[in-house]
Amino acid sequence: MGLLGLLKKMKKDDMEARILILGLDNAGKTTILKTMTSEDISHTMPTQGFNIKSIMQDGFKLNVWDIGGQEAIRPYWSNYFENTDGLVYVVDSSDTRRLEESSRELKQLLAEEKLAGIPTLVFANKQDLMSAAGAEDVSAALELDFIGDRVWQIQACSAKTGEGLQEGMEWLVGNCRKG
Amino acid sequence: MDDGGHAYAIREGFRINWMNMRDAATGQVMWESGEWDCGQDEMEAQIPCEILRCKQISRELNFSSLEVLTSLRLVQSVIFKGEPLEEWNFHFGFVIPNSTNTWQQTIEAAEEEEMLPAELLSGNVVIETTFFDGDYPIMTQRVRIWYV
Ligand SMILES: Nc1nc2c(ncn2[C@@H]2O[C@H](COP(=O)(O)OP(=O)(O)OP(=O)(O)O)[C@@H](O)[C@H]2O)c(=O)[nH]1
Ligand SMILES: [Mg+2]
Repeated sequence: MGLLGLLKKMKKDDMEARILILGLDNAGKTTILKTMTSEDISHTMPTQGFNIKSIMQDGFKLNVWDIGGQEAIRPYWSNYFENTDGLVYVVDSSDTRRLEESSRELKQLLAEEKLAGIPTLVFANKQDLMSAAGAEDVSAALELDFIGDRVWQIQACSAKTGEGLQEGMEWLVGNCRKG
Repeated sequence: MDDGGHAYAIREGFRINWMNMRDAATGQVMWESGEWDCGQDEMEAQIPCEILRCKQISRELNFSSLEVLTSLRLVQSVIFKGEPLEEWNFHFGFVIPNSTNTWQQTIEAAEEEEMLPAELLSGNVVIETTFFDGDYPIMTQRVRIWYV
């Protein structure tokens, strides 16, 4: 093998984790993923379905699912809950008028049986904007302190500058149930 | 609608819009297909041979479906002179009706000493992608790779 030489053969029995990224439309989900893979973020369009990134390294396989957040798409979110090992919920911290809507959607997700007990990371995104609420204010608006049935974390970040992304995702992957 | 009719509708409403390949370390696009001509059986990609020196490459595929799919999966194989050498399976599951979706796969390249020279690979490598809904094949696309 390896003769083709383009790609190393996948190992058997690799560890695999599935991360699901949700949040309102315009929160910055797709931009976060693009920044984390060093891609150009200037032409990001609203997601009309899903974006998946499968990353394979050292026998470890990470599948990250980013689903569109537009209202018309949200009823389909539940089709992607199965087998999720970690949930990322992205909030546009500068859109304070929609924090309540964002809080409502998150609470519905946390009440889902298929997502019960799943480690949850909340990204308080767009911290590069002057108008952005801080992580503590976002946490208060989303009433995160009332979450008692899972490990969770809030991380201030900017998908534009990359600040906070690595820390957040490392926390989540480190807390995913393995295998 | 009977099963045959539904399968026909799925096929008619399914299309691959574009593909690209990147150096995963830098995110730089090494090749992109542009608008895909679905009618074509095999498509040719002229890829800069520098891609063979990338430690990690990513391949991205963008597709649309008009119909709802409940069990989409893909089998992608890398074929060298007619012999399948590598194969990946990916299970998408549910596909939203009227959706456009992307799948990007990042893989480690082989060690440099395991690598065949570009001249030997060029024109002899085909990446074949087949989409299925459950067991039912929806479409197959082939891309023949030329290293330039
Ligand atoms: N200033 C700033 N803009 C951001 C940031 N993250 C995302 N954006 C912008 O916000 C807009 C929406 O970003 P997307 O990544 O498309 O949002 P999304 O959550 O994927 O949206 P849907 O796909 O509709 O669910 C784009 O114009 C981005 O450039 C950020 O951290 N700072
Ligand atoms: Mg998006």
